[in-house]
Amino acid sequence: MTDGDSSGPTGLTDLGSPKSDMSERSVTRRRYLAGLGTAGAVGVAGCNDLTGGNGNGATATETATPDEDGPGQIGSGREGRDAPGGTPVAELPDLSGELDVYSGRGEALVGPLFSYLEETYPDFTIRPRYDGSTDLVNRILTEGDNAAADVFYSVNAGSLGALAAEGRTLSLPEEVREPVPAAYQDGDGRWIGTSGRARTIPYNTEQFSEDDIPNDVFAFPEASAFEGQMGWTPTYGSFQAFITAMRILNGPEETLDWLEGMQAANVQQYGDEFSIAQAIADGEIGAGFANHYYTLRVLDARPNAPLDIAFTEGDAGAIFNVAGASIVDTVSDEDLASNFIRHLLSAEAQEYFATTTFEYPMIPGVEPVQPGSIDLPTIDELNPPTEINLSQLADLGPTLELMREAGLNV
Amino acid sequence: MATTDLAAVLERDEDGALPVGLTLLAGAIAAAVLSPLVWVVANALEADGAVSLLTAPTTVEVFINSSVLVAGVTLGSLVVGVPTAFLTVRTDLPFKRGFSVLLAMPLVIPSYIGAFAFVSAFGPRGTVQGVLEPYGIESLPSIYGLLGTVLVLTLYTYPYVFLTTRAALKSMDTTLVDAARTLGHGRREAFRRVTAPQIRPAVAAGALLVALYTLSDFGTPSIMRYNVFTSVIYSVYGDVLGGGRDLAAMLSLQLVVVTTIILAIESRVRGSGVTAESPNTRTTLIRLGRWRWVAVAACLVVVVAALVVPLTVLTSWLAQAGQPTTGRLAFELSYVTNSVAVATAAALVSALAALPLAYFAARHNSRLASLFERASYVGYAVPGVVMGLALVYFGSTYGGWLYRNGLILLPLLVFAYVVRFLPQAVGSARTSVQQVSGRLPEAARTLGRTPTGAFRDVTLPLVAPGIAAGAALVFLTTMKELPATLMLRPAGFSTLVTRVWTAYGSGYVGQAALPAFVLLLVSGLSMLLILRMEGYDVE
Repeated sequence: MTDGDSSGPTGLTDLGSPKSDMSERSVTRRRYLAGLGTAGAVGVAGCNDLTGGNGNGATATETATPDEDGPGQIGSGREGRDAPGGTPVAELPDLSGELDVYSGRGEALVGPLFSYLEETYPDFTIRPRYDGSTDLVNRILTEGDNAAADVFYSVNAGSLGALAAEGRTLSLPEEVREPVPAAYQDGDGRWIGTSGRARTIPYNTEQFSEDDIPNDVFAFPEASAFEGQMGWTPTYGSFQAFITAMRILNGPEETLDWLEGMQAANVQQYGDEFSIAQAIADGEIGAGFANHYYTLRVLDARPNAPLDIAFTEGDAGAIFNVAGASIVDTVSDEDLASNFIRHLLSAEAQEYFATTTFEYPMIPGVEPVQPGSIDLPTIDELNPPTEINLSQLADLGPTLELMREAGLNV
Repeated sequence: MATTDLAAVLERDEDGALPVGLTLLAGAIAAAVLSPLVWVVANALEADGAVSLLTAPTTVEVFINSSVLVAGVTLGSLVVGVPTAFLTVRTDLPFKRGFSVLLAMPLVIPSYIGAFAFVSAFGPRGTVQGVLEPYGIESLPSIYGLLGTVLVLTLYTYPYVFLTTRAALKSMDTTLVDAARTLGHGRREAFRRVTAPQIRPAVAAGALLVALYTLSDFGTPSIMRYNVFTSVIYSVYGDVLGGGRDLAAMLSLQLVVVTTIILAIESRVRGSGVTAESPNTRTTLIRLGRWRWVAVAACLVVVVAALVVPLTVLTSWLAQAGQPTTGRLAFELSYVTNSVAVATAAALVSALAALPLAYFAARHNSRLASLFERASYVGYAVPGVVMGLALVYFGSTYGGWLYRNGLILLPLLVFAYVVRFLPQAVGSARTSVQQVSGRLPEAARTLGRTPTGAFRDVTLPLVAPGIAAGAALVFLTTMKELPATLMLRPAGFSTLVTRVWTAYGSGYVGQAALPAFVLLLVSGLSMLLILRMEGYDVE
């Protein structure tokens, strides 16, 4: 599973705490989602009782108080959020029937959303199969015509592009595509982004200040301050997508130089990007290459960790990737499938992604959350490279060859 | 020498013709477990760029890395497993019962959880460094790399050697040792000439499981930051458009080739074994004298490293579960029942399938018999995702709407477990059949029993503990299996280990701890059952 589940960090304090129910909310649906979180939290507390682990509530209580705007308070910016933009669920066609969703996104993150839709529509059932995104693509290809999949829900554009390039997806209707900016969907409408993730440089704030972090990804191999201090994840899907972007933007030679330069600068190898964020928080390394929400995930568990994120500008180091969905060609009810995807783009779902998984909403008008000590830029403030199409990230083969040429064991 | 007489007994069987029924049955089982390889081979043949990938210096490098790792972990498991087995069976080690249980327990801990625990405790800035920092220790020597990987994998696989060696020592004919001693051999000499040849097949069978597990493992080396062959398999597998499945299949075949080499080495090393005329005779225990506390300390070190470290780390994870942010994965009892149900099914089917293979191989020293038995090992080294895909292919191609509806997914899943873990049952069944002298059922025949009756009334009760122990190993390993489970489980079917996966993968570390604890608890209780069964004919 080179892919990992690159879904967002652990969810939201105020959605999960009883108090959030009492806070002023103008949107009924959001209150409903908040209630969902509360029910879940109660369930877990019950489990803790069983194992006697209930005495560990000190940190929990701290983070759970939504009124407290202390440092590291995740989700502090969300009080008084405007009503979300986008189309509310109430204005979308009703869902009914059974839908088989092959989900590369983890149950912990999208499960509550699925349950919410099922409870909204009593005649609607989702049969999710959770696995890694790459595993699911390989599975659909292996299953051929006998795949049970109606919808493929992926953590990254690479897997979506791969399934589309293999000719296993149907075109999405215009009403699904219309609300999402062109950059975050396939040009031929074969897949669509449902939430976004930014590529970042997480760093240890005791070792570096924001000004120390170069805004050019090619500066890292040369900067002596980073020698032996950087971490990367050559076997990990998100990292390979980043190198693929670099290969497409800067060509194979420059990419090879960069890969070799980083190794000469004694870069440390990790298995996944969550481990990188942890290692930086521990001071094991000073900085690294990772998607934005891994850092938020670590800060969620350890609010006082000396950890922050920086961004490079206009290069592969700042690539903006999406989680998204497509209709698989084995779909049994195409309308149901596309209406389901429209629900992933509904105001409620987008708000859920922004506030609960710390991702970037796809619909203009839904703001990202500013979690705690992190100053997460809005989608307009990011400077991702513009001359790359996310579908191109599926072209992994030449990237792996290049990485092997640079001496990496992939 | 008693051993030569016993060997002569075996040879009589060798000349006899092979029984048709048993041959066909064993052949059918071998063919069934090999069938997924057809897909692997077919896909491997379609792989483009296979030669350039195989000859790339980085591929050669990881191949060497994997070989070194396999050798290191196998050696490490022998060094830990054999002496501890000997101490807990043949000596007056204090707290022997307790150690027998505790030393077997690391097997219930998935090695990737062990690896997480070791990294988080002994990483350069891990918990231990934090404790030592006030004393001026800035950083610990690196746990990462070859040595750390060997350490962690050894700690979680040596129980294979420990358990098989124990079983052999327990059912060994100790009157032979006494005979050697009365003939004037020293204790060491008696061990070398009598005990060692008797337990060698069992030790080799355990070491074989360790070697093949190490070869196919991906998670542990990845966490320990040591690059192995499987990491390349996972990388190419992700390159969907570049024919990733074909290349992954092709690389998996390389693992199959390595497996056959390891199997050949094991055949050579294990020797023919020695059959017992009067198994399970009570024997006097070796007195350790003043060495007993040294022995206790050594066993304690192993137990603390393998059990206390991960349990402590899991407990600290559980402390994070209190966060309300992690409220989305409530624990359900069905995870436990699902895990236990599929693992029990896998264990039962494996035991049934292992018996004919093991019996055939142990009783008939023919090429065909050993070919069938060895065939069951081939699937063991194929990575779980590749095996999973092979079964997805067969299920979807021949299963029709039963596959699409998910109705045959659970039988397929159980079959996947059997294909992957059957060797664990075969190895221990074969060694236990080997230890029962062919003369015993023959005596029953002369007393008028039918061959089936003699098998049922004489052989089966004697080999039952070995078969049960093998089935139990399959049970425990199935409880920990992840990749095939993810690929073949029906919609909505969650097990303890998929729960650990989904919680950890989403950063819900605290909630990963709870199913992990339950997994260890259920497996631990099963381990107690195994050890009880082990003593069934002794006490």
